[in-house]
Amino acid sequence: MRPASKSLFAAFAMLATAPGAATAADVKGAAPTDPALIEKIRKSNAECYVCHTEAGLKNPPRADMNLAELAKFLHDPKQFDGSNHTGMECKVCHGQGYVAFPHAPEAKKSISECGECHATKALRVETQFKDSVHAKNLADRFTCQTCHDPHVYKVAAKVGDPRKIVAQDNAMCVDCHNSDLRYGAISAALPTKKVRPDLYATHDWLPNPRLHWSAVRCIECHTPMSPVKSLATSHEILAKDKAEKACVTCHSQDSVLATRLYRFAATNVGSDLGFANASVLGSAYVVGATRHPLIDRAVIGLFGLTVLGLLGHGAVRIVMAFFRRRRAS
Amino acid sequence: MSHRIYLLPPWLRIWHWTNATLMIVLAVTGASLHFADPGLHLVPFSLAAKIHDIAGVALLVAYGFFVLANIVTGNWWQYVPKPPGVLARCWKQIVFYGWGIFWGAPHPYPPTEEANFNALQAIVYWVIMYVVVPVVILTGVVFLFPDLAPAKIFGLDGLLPVAMLHYLAGAAVILFMLAHIYLGTTGVRPTSLFKMMITGWHEE
Repeated sequence: MRPASKSLFAAFAMLATAPGAATAADVKGAAPTDPALIEKIRKSNAECYVCHTEAGLKNPPRADMNLAELAKFLHDPKQFDGSNHTGMECKVCHGQGYVAFPHAPEAKKSISECGECHATKALRVETQFKDSVHAKNLADRFTCQTCHDPHVYKVAAKVGDPRKIVAQDNAMCVDCHNSDLRYGAISAALPTKKVRPDLYATHDWLPNPRLHWSAVRCIECHTPMSPVKSLATSHEILAKDKAEKACVTCHSQDSVLATRLYRFAATNVGSDLGFANASVLGSAYVVGATRHPLIDRAVIGLFGLTVLGLLGHGAVRIVMAFFRRRRAS
Repeated sequence: MSHRIYLLPPWLRIWHWTNATLMIVLAVTGASLHFADPGLHLVPFSLAAKIHDIAGVALLVAYGFFVLANIVTGNWWQYVPKPPGVLARCWKQIVFYGWGIFWGAPHPYPPTEEANFNALQAIVYWVIMYVVVPVVILTGVVFLFPDLAPAKIFGLDGLLPVAMLHYLAGAAVILFMLAHIYLGTTGVRPTSLFKMMITGWHEE
């Protein structure tokens, strides 16, 4: 990170921090390791969990609470601890207005924007997102949190296991795209009513769609490949007319899977055994991609030798028959 | 006028050409899938996958028919090399293909109504039809329903050994097909054996 953006990042982090809360300096790094600090954060978050969990809803600490409203804002501490934001105090984002109960009427306005901490990422994401089909149709309805629940989400690099990345990331898409209720709610803002397309119908060209959906992310095809391979996946979500339809983009030796879904996957069993796209083999066999170049060469060589051998045999038979006929005549 | 004997009943000929057509379709689409590459002009991947699936299931059905019909008609006995002297007869057949055929020597073991195949033919056909093709079909079924494959083997995806077996056994069938088609030209005339596979009559 350049020094200028680093200081910008620090400034945002400080702005986002409520008085007395642990700083957000951990956002880009690992969770805190200092036992005293961990205990302080645990205690601080436990104050929120007294109400904002299933257990809290069942046994509210006060009799005057609006339980119907509370039920909309429940969280699972275990899930939060498995998320990217583990080790952070609730108050880092839920700052002013949430410290006391009842919370201030305008407290929601004080919730930190993602970009306040993730400044550099937000800048990059925004330029990609503005070209996205979501932005074109529903720019006002979409925030980071429409897809990424900050209490749950974990970046691919930290999830590691490609199957888990797929399950987490595809759930974000199908939560709306496979639910008439949620799809209807978010697309209600459109000038013309839009019926949710059936996922099987729109993917009927794709062989074995169910298998694909469990093995790769929707964004593998529904985002463009970044010209800079080291950059994270684009947030420019592509509609079906622009989405990738060439199977060989993944199903070939030069598969983009290696630089997309599997860019964080390590090659298994200590060595790659000579396979192309060996990192993929840890969790999937991909026809056309996970090939063994030496075995392929041997098979093609055998094929060529057989054809040549048979043609040669045939040629000798023809020549010999010619001489036999000439001798006989 | 050459001597003719009736060797091949209609069911066997129909099965043979059905099997041959399916094998060629499967070989072309299978190679298009395995060697898929943006720079190679093969059958488009998605189309190849669909055709390969359908032809694969058809091959399974045709194979089931082949096995049943062989049991019912007793034709399975033709594929069993009959001792004694199987290896010696195989060797004589190999020497014929490698030497005698060039000098116009007669076939050492021409087909009869009792023994359609020479010993080498019987062994090769038996291995292909009762070992290699079942491996291709069984691994193909697992490919069609990948949940049947073990989840992991030695830290790698469980489909890998299934896929490798399918690929190598498929390649072996293709190599057999090449030799089989070529040896079809070794009748009294280059076309006689192909005619036999259509009419059922063998010409000597």
